[in-house]
Amino acid sequence: MALEHEHNGAELAHGGHGHHGPNVLPSVLTAPEVVKTWRVRAAIVAVVFALLSLALLAVPGGATHLVRAYLAGYMMCFNLVGGALAFLMVQYVSGGKWGLVLRRPLEAMTRTIPLVLLLTIPLLLLMKQLYLWAAYTTKAATLDAYHQGLITNEQHLDIDFRHVMLNPGAAIFQACVVLGFMTLLITLLNRWSVLRDKDETAGTVGSFDKWRVRFENVSGPSIVLYVILMTDFVIVFVKSLDIIWASSVYGLQFLVAQGYGALAVGILSLILLSRYEPMKTLFRTTEQHDLGKLAFAFTMLNIYLTFAEFLIIWSGNIPDELTYYAHRIQGGWWTICTLDVICHWVIPFCLLLSRDIKRSKHKLIWVAVVMICARFIDLFWLIEPSWNKDGDTLHLIGNFGLLAYITVPVTLVAIWAVYYLTELGKRPLLNVNDPHTEELLEPEHAH
Amino acid sequence: MPPREGVYGLLAEFNTPSELVHATEMAHRAGYRRMECYTPYPVEEAAEALRFHKTRVPLMCLLGGVMGLTTGFLLEMWINVWGYPLNIRATPLFSWPAFVIPEYELTILFAGLSTAFGMIAQNGLPQLYHPLFNAPNFASGATTDKFFLCLEANDPRFDVAETRTLLESFSPVSVVEVDH
Repeated sequence: MALEHEHNGAELAHGGHGHHGPNVLPSVLTAPEVVKTWRVRAAIVAVVFALLSLALLAVPGGATHLVRAYLAGYMMCFNLVGGALAFLMVQYVSGGKWGLVLRRPLEAMTRTIPLVLLLTIPLLLLMKQLYLWAAYTTKAATLDAYHQGLITNEQHLDIDFRHVMLNPGAAIFQACVVLGFMTLLITLLNRWSVLRDKDETAGTVGSFDKWRVRFENVSGPSIVLYVILMTDFVIVFVKSLDIIWASSVYGLQFLVAQGYGALAVGILSLILLSRYEPMKTLFRTTEQHDLGKLAFAFTMLNIYLTFAEFLIIWSGNIPDELTYYAHRIQGGWWTICTLDVICHWVIPFCLLLSRDIKRSKHKLIWVAVVMICARFIDLFWLIEPSWNKDGDTLHLIGNFGLLAYITVPVTLVAIWAVYYLTELGKRPLLNVNDPHTEELLEPEHAH
Repeated sequence: MPPREGVYGLLAEFNTPSELVHATEMAHRAGYRRMECYTPYPVEEAAEALRFHKTRVPLMCLLGGVMGLTTGFLLEMWINVWGYPLNIRATPLFSWPAFVIPEYELTILFAGLSTAFGMIAQNGLPQLYHPLFNAPNFASGATTDKFFLCLEANDPRFDVAETRTLLESFSPVSVVEVDH
């Protein structure tokens, strides 16, 4: 770091006299050509992993795991879009230069919603294979399944009890409402963002205020609505894998996880883009430091909610609730659980404590990569143990079907990345008609 | 202790933070290390030019945090396993999930206190007398709209004439010799 300081010092001194004026806004604000290369690489990864996924069909238990892993991959994409949308709205409400610099990548992430909509169709078609409530849709069917020993008595009673919310029709309806709301919001925010730059009075206080108020008015209430709807969505499509268990913090956990993932992708994108103009000028160390601090906050918030849920259930000691964790900790699953905690919290927490790492581009980028990988592990740990029966253990050796949890989510996220990078290239990387633009061009820390 | 006498340092006054930062950077390059910037509001670049960010306060904070964590863990261990082993709800006496919250609290407490006291121990406060207030322009300008760089006499490179020439080369408003 001493070296970096020397370097900063040298830069300061270089421009020597009168160099402390603002930077010039780069003339070309669109994404650099290299984005197309990244897109090709993402496409190659998608194809390779898709082929590997198909190969897993030949493995015993492969097909079953492919379906489950599809849910994990789907949730990865959904979380990235949802997280980006939530962040986009939060930065409109909170303001701040970090928000402006992150805005266009977030917008590009949200514009991948058509992919999520498309991916929802197979999920709905595969419902019967994933959820007990979709497999047994009537009281007679659950009773019959119970008599045949396919489900336990608790499961039978719970499926009946939760039938109003958890049945194929209701699930489709809820998916339509949630995704419809997200699509509407994403369309609106993205369209306004373009109109904002095209505003005839752009660059004046009147224009700044008009758009700020407009974005705030939509974003504020929409954040609340989004959190409620997203909670409903994850309860239906993830939590209900375990029909008996319930947790009041489940939606919030997902919300934080969404923010965690979207922020990691945002930081990764900005650091990669900052190797080229225009982000080379626009993404300053100050904003990178801010984003690093925000990532640190999300790391803490994530472990706080996750551990709080565990601690309350552990203290409560009620069989209905404990089974959920027993399936995720016992029988070898503690290794995955520990890995999840290490990647999700220990590594990012320890690294992000350091100011130097938050300010260093080539170090922070690796933290972002670890954070993204942690999301894959977390979804594996949340989803796969749902099919555990008491006494089941985690078999890694010879159980090639589990590899689907790597191949399918990577395939889907790579496809998502292709789409994201395409969208990223469509607009200038900076929303110029914003009062913060001028501040981004100021030399760092100058007053 | 007898009162210190002689020159404390040379104080250059600037109108803008940019000039101050430039002068500081150049003085650093010229080999000066015992120097300080005085500004009416925080100027991060001046801190960087002084290579100021490397303080031991973060280390104090980290060590305090680790101490708090260890204390919390040992405290809980001692109470639950050795001191007062009461088995109330049929869980093992060593039930680490329950220890986490006190550990966390003590980590924060110790980290916070060690940061605050570590900072006070290292920054030289409270200081009842500072020679710079002998300079009339400093007393009136340092908290309003002037930016000062003081090259201190205890720097091995310090020489009243040479240092003054160096400072004057940055076109300051004034260069004042400050006595102890």
